[in-house]
Amino acid sequence: MIENIKNILSNIKELDEWKIVENKTSSRELFFIRQELDMNRGKEVAKYTVTVYKDFEEDGKKYRGSSTVQIHPTMTKEEIKNSIEGAVFAASFVKNEYYPINEGEYLEEVKMESNFDNDTVSNYLPKISKCLFEEDVYENGYINSSELFLNKVYIRIVNSKGLDVSYSGYSGMLDLVTNWKEESEEIEISRNIEFTEYDDEMIKNEIRDMLKLSKEKAIAKPTPDLKTSTIILSGEPVKEFLKYYYINANGKQIYDGISTYKVGECVQGQEVIGDKVNLLLDPKLENSTYSAPYDEDGVFLEKTQIIEDGVLKRYWGDMRHSYYLGIEPTGNIRNFIVKSGSKSIEEMKASPYIELISFSDFQMDPMTGDFGGEIRLGWYFDGENTLPITGGSISGNINEVEKEMYFSRESQKLNNFLGPKTIKLSNVSLAGIE
Amino acid sequence: MAKTEMSNYLSKNKDKLVQIVNVLSKDYKYVSILGADVVGKRYSVQKSGISISDSDWTERGFVLRVYNGICYSEFSFNELPEDVEVLKSKINSIAIEDIKKLRESSVGITKFPIIKEDVIEKSFIGEVEILPENITSKEKVERLLNIQKKAFKYSQVLIDFRTFYEEVHVSKIFISLNKKLEQSYIWSQGYLVPIVRKGENVKVNFNSFSGLKGVELLDEMDAGYKKAIDEVISLLDAERIVPGEYDVICTPEIAGLIAHEAFGHGVEMDMFVKNRAKAVEYIGKEVASDLVVMHDGAASAVDVSSYLFDDEGVLGTDTKIIDKGVLKTGICDTISALRLDIEPTGNGKRESFERKAYTRMTNTFFEEGNSKLEDMIASIEYGYLLDGSMSGMEDPKNWGIQCMLLMGKEIKNGKLTGKIVSPVVMTGYVPDLLKSISMVSDRVVLFGSGACGKGYKEWVKVSDGGPYIKAKARLG
Repeated sequence: MIENIKNILSNIKELDEWKIVENKTSSRELFFIRQELDMNRGKEVAKYTVTVYKDFEEDGKKYRGSSTVQIHPTMTKEEIKNSIEGAVFAASFVKNEYYPINEGEYLEEVKMESNFDNDTVSNYLPKISKCLFEEDVYENGYINSSELFLNKVYIRIVNSKGLDVSYSGYSGMLDLVTNWKEESEEIEISRNIEFTEYDDEMIKNEIRDMLKLSKEKAIAKPTPDLKTSTIILSGEPVKEFLKYYYINANGKQIYDGISTYKVGECVQGQEVIGDKVNLLLDPKLENSTYSAPYDEDGVFLEKTQIIEDGVLKRYWGDMRHSYYLGIEPTGNIRNFIVKSGSKSIEEMKASPYIELISFSDFQMDPMTGDFGGEIRLGWYFDGENTLPITGGSISGNINEVEKEMYFSRESQKLNNFLGPKTIKLSNVSLAGIE
Repeated sequence: MAKTEMSNYLSKNKDKLVQIVNVLSKDYKYVSILGADVVGKRYSVQKSGISISDSDWTERGFVLRVYNGICYSEFSFNELPEDVEVLKSKINSIAIEDIKKLRESSVGITKFPIIKEDVIEKSFIGEVEILPENITSKEKVERLLNIQKKAFKYSQVLIDFRTFYEEVHVSKIFISLNKKLEQSYIWSQGYLVPIVRKGENVKVNFNSFSGLKGVELLDEMDAGYKKAIDEVISLLDAERIVPGEYDVICTPEIAGLIAHEAFGHGVEMDMFVKNRAKAVEYIGKEVASDLVVMHDGAASAVDVSSYLFDDEGVLGTDTKIIDKGVLKTGICDTISALRLDIEPTGNGKRESFERKAYTRMTNTFFEEGNSKLEDMIASIEYGYLLDGSMSGMEDPKNWGIQCMLLMGKEIKNGKLTGKIVSPVVMTGYVPDLLKSISMVSDRVVLFGSGACGKGYKEWVKVSDGGPYIKAKARLG
């Protein structure tokens, strides 16, 4: 298919450069309700994304327009030609500042290491199914439903500058819901677990943890209406919160004028009295479904320090926006690591706090810095007793909390994030219930 | 009005799909195949550049469903082999070999009955005012650039003004032994996104436009830029809300968010099957004020999720979910309907041919009432007019609400004061909120610019809306 597309591209004189990204996925999927299979599925899909580039000048300034189309394997040569010609026409009036595309050569396929290579994807289905229900042993709690997706993925990136790189690997996902019933109504919690390695202990640990939290939620009381409180975020919300720094250090945000981060300055402003942010991007983070040797432009990805002791060392970004900013492209690295902090979780919990671990959907707006969500599970420590709580919401803005926030020494790994397990914040608005 | 055209690719391969169903039906007691050919373009203009690409909703491929003797198995693919035997070997490896391996490992499998289908042969061809292919991509970009130019002329405080326009032409075909269905229609959506900054304070607004429309949507967008900018500028001086319970009026957009997130997800009957829906205990019971009537269905309204048949070949319907405050029924996909021994409602939708079908909403909304907005505002001593939907999250099991809203406009002594609070998180317990509805305005508006997920995945096109509603809500 790639050769067909290349032949068609080579016969269109109006275009200046091109890029093809091939993405092939074969997968197996299982859908369980309680411990019984409800449906099974398989998938074999190939996709081709073609970007064409068209250069032009206006008033002595060089521009590069581009347009991207999806080419399906069932398209005829005529359909492909029409689609690409349409894209070239569109690119001719996309007036973007000039930028180069990546230059390269043919390189052997990179096989991302995974123990899923030890057997067929089909043969992993019974193994994972068995492990999935080993911890489902409680009288009051159970796995309500689960979905397993196991993908074998192959990516190839080819362009008109001789680049021809490829890699392959695995990605898996478990979508889990657990329930628990105590004296009041039955409750549920849900979680997505993503992985590239088969690790039955990891799956069992996640399920044990979910069932434990389900039990806590089942006995949780309404969140007290304290208006403001010291808030401790734990688990997944920590990743969402810290993603703010990752996104705002991106070259596109700078070029678009959205982020005001400047190299050499502290991203948390002046007079920081809490922990300072250290951000590292690692394209090869273990067991992350976002790990890759190249980005979608074929840029070879390497570990890169972005923020050190709160100070922005450099921006990160793709070919285009790095060129605009006059920096070496790091490529799009989608794993981020935030260094753990100065306090242990035990120290953070020495005085009264509200710890929140689960929201219906905790959100951080990377543009405005507003964050918040509805509380599904947390704990209130009043100085003497610790009580599981649920309901109500928190809201705040990162500009109001980042000068005095503390990261735990203990760390956690959540797919493409490695960082502190817990963050302690002040000045967060709490809308409780009672 | 101009008629859309059915995908030439699907029409050309219809006989082939019939042949696949016929051949596989010798081995499997139920076989169906859904073919999708969706084409679309997405245009975006912002200060730093222009982008034109195929829409993310673009797809071309098939999903084959068979009854394996116990349950249902599916195979999604996008290369149609010449020889049906190739496809047969693929589906056999899933429906026979994988199932055998699971059974040998003592994995339990739920026994299903066979899907029963009436003999139906139907087609639907949609209409729009201006077909996407009749306007060049150059003209569309120029229209967006022109809106942006006018926006920058209108306000000096903008740091960017982004415009997006997307047009999607859906063609689908469904073939089983009893059904031969075809449909083709166009929907479009657009956004105007003004961004302003004052010191460290950045504010953004998303004004959306959508419908079963073609390029004519750009005219609506052209008329909307001033409102979008005025709103975002007002946010710069917004204060944080003092958390508490307030009398509120929800705009039709927020009413739609409540209909969708707070209640709609809870009546998706695949959740009944999983014991994940509190609604199952409330069928026939009062869940809302008697002013509340709520619908969902592909045939309930004419909007972005109106179609002839769903992704399982079931004709779309109009389901009255709440009637005068009483929960009547839910919405259902085919596989869940088999378990519940009920008729499916035409709500089995897939993110694409690559994904499983789940029970999903279509056009979800509250019916209109008799009140006037000005009377509703005048009736509030202290409260907020809530406007601008940012996101929501469902909780079908425990009926919790999370709605992230752009702003609350203060109402004092029956009048808007001009004071704005932003952002606002609305939380609470669904029946408490719905039972507190005390006034409903007289005109329904639907919004179809968003996508709905099941949890955090499986994004599908939906619309939702309603009239203005007055209620009591917990805000933070």
